[in-house]
Amino acid sequence: MSPAPRTSPITVPSRPVSGDVTYLRVVDADTYTDWESVYRDNVDRLYRLMYARVGNRPDAEDLTSEVFRTALGPLRLASSKGEVRAYLLVTARTVLASHWRRHLGQPVTSIDPEADAALLAEPSGPDEPSDAPNRIGRILATLPDRYRRILELRFLEACSIKEAAQVMDVSVSNAKVLQHRALRMAAKAGMELEQ
Amino acid sequence: MNRRRQLFAYLDALAAGRRPGTLGADSEDIDVVRTAIELRAARPGDDAPDQQFVSDLYQELADQARSAVVPIDRAAKARRGRVALVSIAAGVALVGGTVIATEAIDQGALAPAAVQAPQRSQVRTATFETADSRVMGQIVAYGGSPSWVYMNVDVPQYDGKIICTLQAKSGLTVAAGVFELHRGMGAWSKTIQVDIGQLRGAKLVTSSGVTVAAATFA
Repeated sequence: MSPAPRTSPITVPSRPVSGDVTYLRVVDADTYTDWESVYRDNVDRLYRLMYARVGNRPDAEDLTSEVFRTALGPLRLASSKGEVRAYLLVTARTVLASHWRRHLGQPVTSIDPEADAALLAEPSGPDEPSDAPNRIGRILATLPDRYRRILELRFLEACSIKEAAQVMDVSVSNAKVLQHRALRMAAKAGMELEQ
Repeated sequence: MNRRRQLFAYLDALAAGRRPGTLGADSEDIDVVRTAIELRAARPGDDAPDQQFVSDLYQELADQARSAVVPIDRAAKARRGRVALVSIAAGVALVGGTVIATEAIDQGALAPAAVQAPQRSQVRTATFETADSRVMGQIVAYGGSPSWVYMNVDVPQYDGKIICTLQAKSGLTVAAGVFELHRGMGAWSKTIQVDIGQLRGAKLVTSSGVTVAAATFA
């Protein structure tokens, strides 16, 4: 982690209440001032990371929640933002590994605290382009037309198996077989892309 | 339901955006599921968190932070000698750099009690892994005065005591402790009298001496 230049802004509570004492506090620019700022700064990116690893909203929400519940307790705010994010990533790695152990008995996807550190680092956010669509595009491009089409319909265009079968003018059973074979071929293509 | 049908049901839930549940899967199934996840996650505009979720989780954490503060002397009495538990409130109290965790042995709650802490810190993290690289938990070491370590582990199908030892780069064991896992889950924290820069790693060992997992600090 490369330390950012430190400045020492003086922070004042945004809404001093009449009768209360208002304290001034010197904080470092690259540290979080409270758990709320840790949460606000990282919840979006952590959710996206989890979503990319599980592919569905309910599990991504549960896992994101579990990361924060686990991490915020022992969190030490005197640590730098980079250290806090590294800690969140290590926690996320553990939480995701437990999820797969409970649900499929073995790891399906994982988080690498070093390789994935950039996903939590600034600048980032909703507008940052992800490499995932490019990779998926390359995988799909290697498939025969019918295999590519069934996967596009099912996973990218939100069609049910019945709707996909209608579009492709095949039976539902045939669409299921096509989907299975297409996923197997896409999995193989994905592994070849990594090599 | 046979395995092929289970796999299809899993993929169908995934494609529809529902929670897929559990699946008894072999390695070929895992490759298929991984690819389906990658495809599903690439659906445009679907990866942003729901703002209601963000707001609800914030509220839940804020409520915990408010309710979880336990006065140290009262907690000590209530737990017959165990140290106080503060949970998320510790994170809040850390704003001024005034609280860190000290030794605590308890599961289900995160464990810090209040002691004076320095303003600056150093953090090292590592992942507990089995010999075949399965992730079993994590350890975080905070350097300061005093320094301390925190770990949480998830060892499937294990209940009972587990021993954690901390090793220095010299190979010496510099700290050890015992804590209980309930349904495989447990957390532990401890102050240590050692420069955390000198730590090499940690080991989790069952009470019968079997090494469960090890972590090496980067």
